[in-house]
Amino acid sequence: MSGSLFINPTAFEIGLQAAFAARSQSSEAQGAAFERFAKQGFPNRRAEGWKWSDFHGALRNMTPANDGEATIAVAPSAFAALDPLEFRIVNGRIELPAEAVPDGMRYGILDPVATIPELESHAIATLNVAMTRKALGIEIGEGAAHARPVLIRHINTGAGFSFAQTLVRVSVNAQVNLIETYEGAGAGFYSHLFHMALRDGAKINRTVLQETGAGQIVHALCAAKVDAKARFDQTSLSTGSRLSRHETIAHFWAPDASANFNSAALVSGERHCDFTSHVLHKEERCKTRQLHKGVARDRGRNVFQGKFEVERKAQKIDAKMTANALLLSGDAEANHKPELEIYADDVECAHGSTAGALDEDALFYLRQRGLDEHAARALLIEAFLGEVIDGISDDRIADAFRVKMMDWLESE
Amino acid sequence: MLKIENLHVTIGGAEILRGLALNVPAGEVHAIMGPNGSGKSTLSYTIAGRDGYDVTDGAVTLEGENILDLDPNERAAKGLFLSFQHPMEIPGVQTMNFIRTALNAQRRARGEEEISAADFIKLIREKAKIVGLDDAKLKRPFNVGFSGGEKKRMEMLQMAMFEPRFAIMDETDSGLDIDALKMVGEVVNSLRGPGRGFLIITHYQRLLEYIKPDRVHVLAGGRIVKSGGAELAAELEKSGYDQFIEAA
Repeated sequence: MSGSLFINPTAFEIGLQAAFAARSQSSEAQGAAFERFAKQGFPNRRAEGWKWSDFHGALRNMTPANDGEATIAVAPSAFAALDPLEFRIVNGRIELPAEAVPDGMRYGILDPVATIPELESHAIATLNVAMTRKALGIEIGEGAAHARPVLIRHINTGAGFSFAQTLVRVSVNAQVNLIETYEGAGAGFYSHLFHMALRDGAKINRTVLQETGAGQIVHALCAAKVDAKARFDQTSLSTGSRLSRHETIAHFWAPDASANFNSAALVSGERHCDFTSHVLHKEERCKTRQLHKGVARDRGRNVFQGKFEVERKAQKIDAKMTANALLLSGDAEANHKPELEIYADDVECAHGSTAGALDEDALFYLRQRGLDEHAARALLIEAFLGEVIDGISDDRIADAFRVKMMDWLESE
Repeated sequence: MLKIENLHVTIGGAEILRGLALNVPAGEVHAIMGPNGSGKSTLSYTIAGRDGYDVTDGAVTLEGENILDLDPNERAAKGLFLSFQHPMEIPGVQTMNFIRTALNAQRRARGEEEISAADFIKLIREKAKIVGLDDAKLKRPFNVGFSGGEKKRMEMLQMAMFEPRFAIMDETDSGLDIDALKMVGEVVNSLRGPGRGFLIITHYQRLLEYIKPDRVHVLAGGRIVKSGGAELAAELEKSGYDQFIEAA
């Protein structure tokens, strides 16, 4: 590789190319992926679906340092009380649990996926494929149901870039509770690609919490392949960062699959939080529920983009999407783009979107009953977010989310 | 107890109350009656401290203390309660949690001990029975899906729980059937006594059949235009407000 592969490269893109060229272990497929990425560059605000989350602009002048320090001291997880099987990806480096592998489960460090056909046109996913050195692989065996949750902690402390992949397969009729946390005070760029396969009748309960330093730029993409009668439940809470985007791409390949996606964004200061999703219904009788709640104050910005796509043969689809934004200051921003693209004629699909300030009548009512202004506002914000938290089936996870929410409210 | 002198209030620059004066001594129940648009709700919101109700002149004191500079929650902690004409629905806020949070906020502000969860539940069950709200309603989000009458019962439940020193009841009787009116009467009469005052705002005489007021005032054009005993309510029911609208 000589000369720039990019057209008008930024300092960061030039640095990435130098870092990639300096590597000796990249596969041919990774080389091809890097070239595909270079043709596109980081998506900017002119790119479809990236109008409100400009990675090109945000990364333009970042120092292209390589992966961060090898070992760092790690504090206990916010979910330690659940006694999870804890994996860590620290500055892109995978750390497996020290304990014995539980029955019905396999895990290990694998070569990264070389290509993901449905993500070929996704620039950051393509870059991830090119740059990731090793992937964390977890397989839940047929019929296995683990009461103990699996925790994957993404910890980033550096100011450079890091890339990681997680590949999870939930076998036929198996079940798993999976928690992911994005942590660390780093001010670099982290790209995580999560590739999930849910086989017939499999169930995953995925919980995502992002509470990183304000300077971090995060792109976390979960691409799920959902088979017949499989169920994909996901609850996410993010306080955002300089630029953060959680993307979920779910493809329902077979009939009777279902998904429940709940997300909450709490953004303050100059933080940015983007939840983007695309659910493709390819077969009949699939059911999807999606609820997003965003609260923004100061100059915080919350982006929600949800798309339900229903192919012609996917009849009897039942899909509903709701996004509500609560803006606590004049400079706070919410950008919603709910989309339905339906080619089947016998479906029930709907979306709704609202944005507004706290209800002054309700605030006065609460204050007349004795709550001071801060307590009244906090109660109404909690109530606004309540539906997302109420959807969490594990009380301990719901409580952990409530604590995070209170912390955010207290930090006002 | 509650003393209002020469009260002038504007909303968005328009003067609604024009020199209103009223004195409700401790232990008394006063009723304010008046035509639509006379300023009845403005009076109750002003006393409770709602933003946007600008007091341009006059004074409101509760037991000699000026309350106009206090926040709404500080007025509540002093024992001022407003039964809302249109109570709010607050989705996501569980009723019992909210009432307990509010009660304890008032107690803390007064330097009193908080009520324990066990005592609270016992108390609210007892009061809920009196106002005719079942347990299931107490566990629901606050007022969500309640009928107009149930919302008014919820107002009376809170009044019974907070035991305010001074309560303003803004058209609590509107939309209530006979049984509910009797219930309101029962709650007020059980709280009625020395050291406590009530201001009942109403269009009609019928609630006053269950709560006999010590004084009745007619509010028209932003001030009290006539005051009298309980018999004034019956007289108004017969003659209407026209004479006062013309006079104001």
